[in-house]
Amino acid sequence: MMNSQPTPPAIEIRRLGKTFPSCKALDDVNLTVATGEMVALIGASGSGKSTLLRHIAGFVAADAGEIAVLDRVVQQDGSIAPDIRALRAQIGFVFQQFNLVNRLPVVTNVLVGLLYRVPVWRSLLMRFTVSERQRALEALAAVGIEKFAWQRAATLSGGQQQRAALARCLVQEAKVILADEPIASLDPESARNVMELLAQMNRERGCTVVVSLHQVEFAIKYCRRTVALHRGRVVYDGPSAALTPQLLGELYGADAEELFGMMLDSPALKIPADKGMAPLLAA
Amino acid sequence: MATVPSVQEVSLRPPPAGIGATLAWGVFFLVLIWSWQGADMRPFDLLKDSDNMRVFAREFFPPDFHEWRIYLEEMVVTVHIAIWGTVLAIVCAIPCGLMSAENLAPVWVYQPMRRLMDACRAINEMVFAMLFIVAVGLGPFAGVLALWVHTTGVLAKLFAEAVEAIDPRPVEGVRATGANALEEILYGVIPQVLPLWISYSLYRFESNVRSASVLGIVGAGGIGVVLHEVIRGFEYAQTAAVLIIIIVSVTLIDLVSARIRQWAI
Ligand SMILES: Nc1ncnc2c1ncn2[C@@H]1O[C@H](COP(=O)(O)OP(=O)(O)O)[C@@H](O)[C@H]1O
Ligand SMILES: [Mg+2]
Repeated sequence: MMNSQPTPPAIEIRRLGKTFPSCKALDDVNLTVATGEMVALIGASGSGKSTLLRHIAGFVAADAGEIAVLDRVVQQDGSIAPDIRALRAQIGFVFQQFNLVNRLPVVTNVLVGLLYRVPVWRSLLMRFTVSERQRALEALAAVGIEKFAWQRAATLSGGQQQRAALARCLVQEAKVILADEPIASLDPESARNVMELLAQMNRERGCTVVVSLHQVEFAIKYCRRTVALHRGRVVYDGPSAALTPQLLGELYGADAEELFGMMLDSPALKIPADKGMAPLLAA
Repeated sequence: MATVPSVQEVSLRPPPAGIGATLAWGVFFLVLIWSWQGADMRPFDLLKDSDNMRVFAREFFPPDFHEWRIYLEEMVVTVHIAIWGTVLAIVCAIPCGLMSAENLAPVWVYQPMRRLMDACRAINEMVFAMLFIVAVGLGPFAGVLALWVHTTGVLAKLFAEAVEAIDPRPVEGVRATGANALEEILYGVIPQVLPLWISYSLYRFESNVRSASVLGIVGAGGIGVVLHEVIRGFEYAQTAAVLIIIIVSVTLIDLVSARIRQWAI
């Protein structure tokens, strides 16, 4: 196949650093995610996963370094790009706590994904056209919760709310989806469901997905590549299949238990280290 | 790693109340004693003059309802004043409240706005009414303007406090889609604060009906005008009738408004 023009990476992070008064949250993070990839971001709690994703969406300014998404600058040397809203319209963000507006109907929460495209006078009157509402309902149908469309978001279960958040990414036609522990507050069944939907959006719509996870087994199951953070540093960037309990033990020491919990006891998941590709041990 | 304290190291008794609490009570009682003089407190006069008081109280009964049509008409005017004063205040308190909220507005907006609202609130409706009478003449409209200005100050503060207590996460969810600041407020903030805002507005309406019933004393229309006339004419039986009408109307409005509040939330 001809590939004269190489597609630019979906996400490019160079030398990103962020220090909070209490701790160094990100320490010289370098990361490139190609278009169409689905990457897991793992790490114990406090390792900097949320902080990294929030930097990519331009919610927080870093101390140093730069981030580009879809070949456009998000932030550079501590200042966020002035046209960040245009870029955010292309990035779908899924939060652990769903971040829906509880008192608005589910369908309105999904329509929020269109705000950037709807003319301002119409969005400030909260008026959406029939075809826009149609689009929102189709997105809700795609994640399987169309029959709750006119209920308040608060009345949905956690799993359903998270699917509504994914429907919002769908109407947004996000090219990049950043999901910050989307399954951490869900029961196992809903968790699988949400991960399947993310994988499907990656496969069928070509969305680039970066999903932060607390448990390694989901990374291994759904993402080919895993980036591991530890105290704000990238300590591993390579195939998920190579993430054995031994390797995690090496990377995280005592914290490792938090990450693979049940994995230790499940022999099915014990993959010999030499079977995977050689892990790129950073640091 | 912090060491875990063992049970033996922690005292079973709560720590003793500090010197601060004792001092605060002391200051409180000193203030009470100091204010006794200024407030001209004479509790024994109440006992000494109890016969006079009884005679005075008897003059109120039986209440004289001969002019009830006029009283009722003026009471309705009072409610009309309260309605317009409150509605205009709500309309103004929305932008002023949003601009006084620390989590929405930059410091150079919310500080001046808060001071302006403090000023509106600090001056009583009666004072505003007297000032507006000079500007627009005697009558209900001066009362509407007085309630409007004062209530804007009150509601803007309450609205801003509600906004400052919101959950920021849904707002961030809206921001993540590329929405602008106004859209963030409309889709992320307002839905969260709306029940509280409605509740505060209804409370203020109730309290404005009470305020409007005395605004007439300075000439700003409504039942207060009648009240002022009958008291000045020593018509205590009629005064009693007017007071009963005020009490019944205010109670009714409180009940209805409480119902609406429940239903709105
Ligand atoms: N706004 C903030 N202010 C101060 N410290 C913060 C802030 N956000 C995150 N941190 C700190 O940065 C570190 C990384 O946090 P976070 O990115 O939330 O970790 P994770 O999502 O992996 O659990 C933690 O030590 C946390 O206390
Ligand atoms: Mg987190």
